[in-house]
Amino acid sequence: MKRTLLYLFSLSATVLVAGTGWSDGTGTRGILERYRSIRPEAKDLAMYRLDWAASLDDALKRAAKESRPVYLIIIHAKYGDIRSGHC
Amino acid sequence: MVRKLEPYIIASWHGHRNDTDIPAAVKAVWDQKFKAPRGRTPGRQSNVDIAILDSRGSLVHSFDAANHQQYGRRGRIESYTADELSRAASTLGLEKRPTKSPALKLPDLQGKQGIRVLLSLDDERMHAYRAPVVEVVPVEDGDWNHLAWPEGERRVSSSVLLPYLSQIYPPGVMDRTNPATKEVYGIKAVEGDLELSPVASKKGTRHAILRGEVRLVDEGPDDFGYKGTLEIVLAYRDGESTPHALRGYFDGLYPRSDRMHRDIRWLPLQAAIESIPE
Repeated sequence: MKRTLLYLFSLSATVLVAGTGWSDGTGTRGILERYRSIRPEAKDLAMYRLDWAASLDDALKRAAKESRPVYLIIIHAKYGDIRSGHC
Repeated sequence: MVRKLEPYIIASWHGHRNDTDIPAAVKAVWDQKFKAPRGRTPGRQSNVDIAILDSRGSLVHSFDAANHQQYGRRGRIESYTADELSRAASTLGLEKRPTKSPALKLPDLQGKQGIRVLLSLDDERMHAYRAPVVEVVPVEDGDWNHLAWPEGERRVSSSVLLPYLSQIYPPGVMDRTNPATKEVYGIKAVEGDLELSPVASKKGTRHAILRGEVRLVDEGPDDFGYKGTLEIVLAYRDGESTPHALRGYFDGLYPRSDRMHRDIRWLPLQAAIESIPE
């Protein structure tokens, strides 16, 4: 498990600006500021710049169609979703 | 390393060696991995392997993801993976293929309404556990009726947020798994009352604040739980009683048991909570 996570962590590093468009009105400013400060920065979400397929079957279908290789992460465990990070 | 992975379609699979439906590529990797070495002791192995497949699904290259010889040294896995990818790239002819810098695309529900939870555990000892977790949960019609616009302050049970708040548990919860099934204990209940209060509105949108202390309780037999502060801003369009969007956070402490030191470590567990699509 520790190694699964270490591997996942090693995929991370990037850029994104949290979309705002929310007015920091009376009473809401502190909460929205806290939300922004807690939200992981883009550099920590780099694995979401990768082209993930929902499943191995989906990846193989797309690989054939797009003439691209597949990078398959195999986890020897009963549970784990490396795409979400809950593993 | 992200750039080296750009040509690939990424997929993950998990399972056990005695499963009945092991994909051919996984079987090929595991046959090699678990083959007893002749005349020597098996080396250390991790539970994560990487398989590189060509566009026809044939196995081109595979390697143990954790590189046990360098395990624990910061940056070693990245450089090791980059080296292995370089080997595969020459076999696949990827060096000549132009790549484009992909945009960040967080998990979503393909335009369907939902909640995204971006979770962070601040574990100073286990660097790997600090990798963010991102989960999305669909919102169905009527799910937010209990968050209808409040004319005045009123109480709302935090249990109505269970589908979203149940995603707030740390990665690597080895100490909170069912010993029989090896599955992680899910969050079964959210306890605590929240206050829902209207606040001043702007630009045709009204806002309300939902806040309070909540306790998340898992499925284990020992009433294990952890607490945190929840604060959420809800946005309502003029003339509509149910919110159309929300943003907020959970800020709590997770008691991780440290078997080595026979101790409990209280780790900051935080989550940004946002409605999607934005």
